[in-house]
Amino acid sequence: MAAGSMNLVGRAGAGPREAAAWSRRQVLLTDLRSVRGRAYPRVRGLTREPSWLLFEILLPFLGTSAFVFVYRALEAPQEYVGFVVLGGALTAFWLNVIWMMANQLYWEKAQGNLELYFAAPMHFMSILFGMAVGGMAMSTTRAATVLVIAGTLYGVTFTVDQWLLLVGVFVLTLGALYGLGMVLASLFLVWGREAWHMGQLLTEPVYFVSGLNFPVARLGMLGALSVAFLPLATGLDAMRQLAFADAAFPAGTPPPLVEVAILVVMTVVSIVAARAMLIAMERRARRDGRLSVRWQ
Amino acid sequence: MSAVTPDARKASATAPTFDLARTRGNGLSDTIRTFIVSVRLGWQLEANWTDPFLFFIYSVAKPVSSALILVVMLEVIGGPAGRSFRPFVVVGSALWAFVISGVAGLAWAILEDRERYRVLKYVYVSPSDFLTVLVGRGVARIAVGLAGVVITLVVGVVALGVPFDVAVVDWPLLVASSLLGLGTIIALGLLMAGVCIQTRQESWSYPEAFAGALFLVTGAVFPLLVLPAPVQLVGLLTPLTWWIAGIREALFPGGPDSIGGSGSLFETLFGPGSPTGGEIVLALLATGAIATLAALAIFRLSDRRAKRAGLYDRTTGS
Amino acid sequence: MSAAMPPLAMETRALRRVYAAKPQPVVALDGVDLEVPPGEFFGLLGPNGAGKTTLIKILTTLLLPSSGTAQVFGFDVERETKQIRRIMNMVAGGEQSGYGILTVREQLWMFTQFYGLAGKEGWRRVDELIEAVGLEEQRVQRVSTLSTGQRQKMNLARGLLNDPWILFLDEPTLGLDVSAARSLRELIVDWKAAVPGRTILITTHYMAEADELCDRIAIVDHGRILAIGSPAELKKRVQRESIFRIELDRLDGGAHALARLPGVVSASEAADAAGDAARQVVVMNLVLEDDSALGQVVGALAASGSEILGLRKSEPTLEDVFVELVGRGFEESEAEGSPTEAVA
Repeated sequence: MAAGSMNLVGRAGAGPREAAAWSRRQVLLTDLRSVRGRAYPRVRGLTREPSWLLFEILLPFLGTSAFVFVYRALEAPQEYVGFVVLGGALTAFWLNVIWMMANQLYWEKAQGNLELYFAAPMHFMSILFGMAVGGMAMSTTRAATVLVIAGTLYGVTFTVDQWLLLVGVFVLTLGALYGLGMVLASLFLVWGREAWHMGQLLTEPVYFVSGLNFPVARLGMLGALSVAFLPLATGLDAMRQLAFADAAFPAGTPPPLVEVAILVVMTVVSIVAARAMLIAMERRARRDGRLSVRWQ
Repeated sequence: MSAVTPDARKASATAPTFDLARTRGNGLSDTIRTFIVSVRLGWQLEANWTDPFLFFIYSVAKPVSSALILVVMLEVIGGPAGRSFRPFVVVGSALWAFVISGVAGLAWAILEDRERYRVLKYVYVSPSDFLTVLVGRGVARIAVGLAGVVITLVVGVVALGVPFDVAVVDWPLLVASSLLGLGTIIALGLLMAGVCIQTRQESWSYPEAFAGALFLVTGAVFPLLVLPAPVQLVGLLTPLTWWIAGIREALFPGGPDSIGGSGSLFETLFGPGSPTGGEIVLALLATGAIATLAALAIFRLSDRRAKRAGLYDRTTGS
Repeated sequence: MSAAMPPLAMETRALRRVYAAKPQPVVALDGVDLEVPPGEFFGLLGPNGAGKTTLIKILTTLLLPSSGTAQVFGFDVERETKQIRRIMNMVAGGEQSGYGILTVREQLWMFTQFYGLAGKEGWRRVDELIEAVGLEEQRVQRVSTLSTGQRQKMNLARGLLNDPWILFLDEPTLGLDVSAARSLRELIVDWKAAVPGRTILITTHYMAEADELCDRIAIVDHGRILAIGSPAELKKRVQRESIFRIELDRLDGGAHALARLPGVVSASEAADAAGDAARQVVVMNLVLEDDSALGQVVGALAASGSEILGLRKSEPTLEDVFVELVGRGFEESEAEGSPTEAVA
């Protein structure tokens, strides 16, 4: 290599202590750019390996269809088919939270990326948020496919009186879901391999207690607890009431506005908790030397 | 460089010569040993019976929750009248959790060895038969899935009011269906393993998605006659349909049937009524054999492509 | 430290790190005191398990010390991690990190975002570095298809993305072949020359690498620094005399004749010269008080009619320094087992 070929731009005039003193604007821009950076491999991956179209979109659509046919076999009212379709759509985001966020830090550690992230200056939540944004492309496609195709194929009719509220509930549900994902990610960072198994626990059991295919109020007290603590249950129930305004819901179903309030609280609490937990978990991981130990 | 010293010449005279017999292997005994070692490895990695938390997740929480979802759906629509259908859905969902375990067992072995443990290429180039290693690795998850089936059925009988009389169980049908079904599930797992060789790290969910799609066409939780005729045909050609029907008929003889019935494609093709136990076993054997051959072909194809593209020692991830 | 003095690039005081391990805790660092001024190329040399990586992980804010303090440019590693992370970067040997599905260019660009560069500026910086490290042909190749050497060049480029004031290199040539390792070392040296004032801390167990690259070296073993100095200073610790191996066609008077010359400490026939007997060559090991005595030896030999067929100076290696300090070699030290083996 010829001398002088490393003709790189240095920070002329600034010393290391000046270079380390970032303004708030610089910190914010770095965090935002980090979101973009971390979302990038997810989005790029969609075009480079299209198998997800089959396995993340088409096949899960067929899985949702199975529950539609269960209700058809039982000659259920048509709105129950709508409940299943909406549940199937929202599942996409829940699975994104579990597998693409909560468990992701474990994979990053195994790959050797985690310590590089911690050694970089952005806030770690930017990385988590970038993962969420990147994964959302796939989740949104899946949810839209289920809604549109299943809705059309199975004759689901949406009767929406309050569109703004419905959209607001959807956004709040995503906020609460991804906030929970951030909390889980920081927990899983410390739990290591056990976290992967925990992710398995958060599929069927959560589907059941969230009323994925039926109004959650049918579960009585268990349903009420779910609405209070599980964003999937809360959001799904509220969206069902708003998307099928003509349907009859069982006694004990909270009004959508109450569920909106719950979602707001969940979102705020989870994001605040995630931030605090990430700081605490990072410190603990640094103390125990777990940031770069694999297979743990 | 100096000439060979006297000591070196003496050493080469007594050095062992290459034994060609080492390249031939020991046939079946090698295969058996490989299988046993792989089973033990899979067991140590995954089925940690000393950890009750893991056992709870895979053998209790997941399968029982799946059954409860369907039971509540029944209750919501059918009320007390729907309870006669409970054995149907409980058996179907219990068996389906087993399908997922079996299919995922082999597929995840590929992903784990490639992405997490980074030993896939070393396993592949060892003299052990790769197929045997995969099947052995999958056995642990299959065993966990089997425990889940038993537990879910017990919960169904004890807590969900599923009526069960051991005296009427058709044991020959149960054994035949179980063995043939197990072979089919392993074959499907091999098919998914072949897929996962080609895909990247995020394909952990692919086995479940694949099983979820089959869930639609196999009469697991609703009779096939509810589906459009072309889809029913797919179901009749799927070995898992016959497997579930066989287990259901063996455990609850004379109960609701997933294949036949008024308006079903089966009735159109073969006349009224439901398939008998013998017909179920024959159909399972035929469709299972075809599925197994297809799965092996796909796996071999994937293997060749992986060698051409150098996929065995890559790691992916996004 | 007074306000007028620039801060040290690295400073540790009684730095200690203990890992909880069974059957007993492992002391990876045992009271390390270190001062590295800005602009220095500083090396940590020691066998596997000596504590080099532990020290680097503490300085790169990935690990907390159990006790003691560590600062990077005056920023404390425990409390001021953000500031340190803005001005440092790290590259480890044997790294397999990254996303295989991305190209080299994309992988590097992703990291520019983590360091806050604007999108277009990031691409420009990436292209600049790809050219600098010689990866132009691999620019749009997927990361998963890179060779080990190419991957490490990419990792080095990643380490330079944010123009760090201090660069930590943890065994950067680990696993590379001779050519790739040399190429990487040249890149590192070139970078340091191109942007003056930058500090580099390199850990290695390759003595020649430390000898070649470092301004100063700390020899580490079992979590302690045994000695610090420039390579020449360290070697002088173990060898104060000059040792020469001299080949002659004949020597009248034998070794005694040479030993009597002024400035000659000892002279003896070389023990491994048996093969040369057939060539009628006399091989002698000469220990002189210093290099200046060599002239007298050569003159005396010429006067006695001996022809000098070959002359070579023997220098101690850094392993000789290690042996002198510890009483055993690197390989023996590694074979004994490292303090941090149980942790990994």
